[in-house]
Amino acid sequence: MGGEEDDEPASKRMKLSSKELRHLSNGSTIKEPVAGSSGDLMARPLQSEGGEEVVGSKGVIKKVEFVRIIAKALYSLGYIKSGARLEEESGIPLHSSVVNIFMRQILEGNWDESVVTLHNIGLTDERTIKSASFLILEQKFFELLDEENVMDALKTLRTEIAPLCINNSRVRELSSFIVSPSHCFSVRSCKQDTLRARSRTKLLEELQKLLPPTVMIPERRLEHLVEQALVLQRDSCMFHNSLDKEMSLYADHQCGRDQIPSQTLQILQAHTDEVWFLQFSHNGKYLASSSNDKSAIIWEVDANGVSFKRKLSGHQKPISSVSWSPDDHELLTCGVEEVVRRWDVPSGECLHVYEKAGLGMVSCGWSPDGKWIFSGVNDKSICMWELDGKELECWKGPRTLKISDLEITNDGKQIISICRERAILLLDREAKVERFIEEDQTITSFSLSRDNRFLLVNLLNQEIHLWNIEGDVKLVSKYRGHKRTRFIIRSCFGGLEQAFIASGSEDSLVYIWHRGRGELIEALPGHSGAVSCVSWNPANPHMLASASDDRTIRIWGLKNLSAKRKDTHSNGIHYCNGAT
Amino acid sequence: MDVDPRQYEHIAINDNDIHNIIMSYLVHNCFKETLESFIACTGMKQPSDYLEDMDKRKRIFQFALEGNALKSIELTEQLATNLLEKNKDLHFDLLSLHFVELVCSRKCAAALEFAQTKLTPFGKEQKYVEKLEDFMALLAFDEPEKSPMFHLLSLEYRQHVAENLNRAILAYANHPSYTAMERLIQQTTVVRQCLNQEHTKDGPPPFSLKDFLKS
Repeated sequence: MGGEEDDEPASKRMKLSSKELRHLSNGSTIKEPVAGSSGDLMARPLQSEGGEEVVGSKGVIKKVEFVRIIAKALYSLGYIKSGARLEEESGIPLHSSVVNIFMRQILEGNWDESVVTLHNIGLTDERTIKSASFLILEQKFFELLDEENVMDALKTLRTEIAPLCINNSRVRELSSFIVSPSHCFSVRSCKQDTLRARSRTKLLEELQKLLPPTVMIPERRLEHLVEQALVLQRDSCMFHNSLDKEMSLYADHQCGRDQIPSQTLQILQAHTDEVWFLQFSHNGKYLASSSNDKSAIIWEVDANGVSFKRKLSGHQKPISSVSWSPDDHELLTCGVEEVVRRWDVPSGECLHVYEKAGLGMVSCGWSPDGKWIFSGVNDKSICMWELDGKELECWKGPRTLKISDLEITNDGKQIISICRERAILLLDREAKVERFIEEDQTITSFSLSRDNRFLLVNLLNQEIHLWNIEGDVKLVSKYRGHKRTRFIIRSCFGGLEQAFIASGSEDSLVYIWHRGRGELIEALPGHSGAVSCVSWNPANPHMLASASDDRTIRIWGLKNLSAKRKDTHSNGIHYCNGAT
Repeated sequence: MDVDPRQYEHIAINDNDIHNIIMSYLVHNCFKETLESFIACTGMKQPSDYLEDMDKRKRIFQFALEGNALKSIELTEQLATNLLEKNKDLHFDLLSLHFVELVCSRKCAAALEFAQTKLTPFGKEQKYVEKLEDFMALLAFDEPEKSPMFHLLSLEYRQHVAENLNRAILAYANHPSYTAMERLIQQTTVVRQCLNQEHTKDGPPPFSLKDFLKS
């Protein structure tokens, strides 16, 4: 389009910003001068390097392309008159006249003429022309078959389709269709639903994908570009943690820090010694914590906050970890090199004790169907039990260490545990295949993502590594900042779509990183002892719980939320509004 | 290093054995007149029931070789009643010969109809599906000789089918389906191959009929 105006004086060619475009009076074209002195206009760059007109401040949007995709969008939205008016007013046709004829011929089913027109469009690639012809003639073939005009369909196949000499396997299939159109004997061709001819609009879409985009603008191109921009904005938003923050086209998307839990809402004091482990239930309605005081506590989560439900006593040793059953009705607790106990959550009753003579358990986990219990043993093996205690299988060592987590994937097939100081074992118990994550440093703990595709690994050297465990294991990210020198510190995934990583730390702060960007977002003060474990509520991206050597559990939430709470309980729960 | 020809002198061959070998060859390939002359010259005993069927078998073979599969099928049904029923692979191959004839004579409508009525029923069994598709694909080409499946129109293919048919008929009548001559040559070749594999350098080379006949 830039070429047309070559003989006009320079002042009439201008680079219009979108603001200026809006101010054009109706009926006028760009050929008329716009506000601003010509001297001003002359000083600015007028055209892109290719000699075409551009819009936008960066000079990368070609005007012709911009107008064409807008016209296409108008037509897709059903605003035919507006689309036509735009084509007329801008002088930029959406499609060349040849292409318009071609499209009409396709929709009207004038196959032979459309093939002729195809050759006139001006495509340079022989292969494209042949493939497009093939598609058109295939449509003709199927429509003839639909009309039960078998002989004409055969003639089309023999004299028009086969001579193209492309896609011989499809020609083969078409022959089979002729012979038995209703009952196809090949499983392969039956998979496609092309026994009835598809619609002509669908054919047009296929053709448009085949032809270069300059010839036929792809469907929904403008929508695609806008979505791309929105997704980019969302991905670069580091604090994106709320579903109801809708994306708007009017302003760039940017969540504020206020979406991340960063304020202590409650301090739970019910344990009488260091709190070592905690975990929210799958439905987010309960929190279970375990402590050096040999007890585990079940807390209830509701609209008013977190409240004490009951204490589970019975272990003779400190409890190193807990595990919620898939339906959240039962809880496993594991004493340090002791036994594994299974508890009923509503009643607090201990349903079963799993033990092995002369040995101690070190970790516990559930199969995803809730039928079996897995446990790591201090002889480096992993055992699998039925709920009633019958031992089903035992994988002899070294499968696990004395200090190790245990996770089972959602398909029930993989068992994950730390098998050597610097290696994590991913054991496929059905296929009997072992994969390993190897690290340069000693591994202290790990955590599995909800979609089972990633593993978060805590290392001795104060780094947290994120591994992709699908297929071949790959290191994806590293997170740093927290402190760990003597104890086991745990980290977890959390937030909306598990977009964040949280971790405890020996400096008594809770650390939060943006998972994708790896950047540290928050380091929350509050605890007065090392924070050994954190858990993010899977049902509430604004709630985080942390367990500390200071014997307390802190519940973290959004700022400005705590003002609504009332302090009615006194059994060890303090409500706060941010003050430590 | 080949077998020492002097060793052959130690083996005595019975003339009768050789005559039988020749006769089995002549019978298998329906050389009736030659067979009759041979019998007259050598004074061998006439094989009992071969002769009458030989004429019929010869015609069946000829028709198949020419591509006149329908005639061939008709005569086969007369000679060996449910042979084709029990031998579906063969039946399919013969029917496909007729189909090919129709395609070659550009009788598309007839070919299509024949395929739909006679051939597609075989398609219910998975093992025929690919073969069926191969043949159907011939329909798509104006000049089937230039299609990727041109080998299905060749003399070699027809020969292959005709020979299979011949063997099946012989087997049906409880006669050997392979000639003694064929078996002997095959035997020698296999034995030589085995010896070759075992002894590699020292064993005799693989059997070559051409070289053998020249020596």
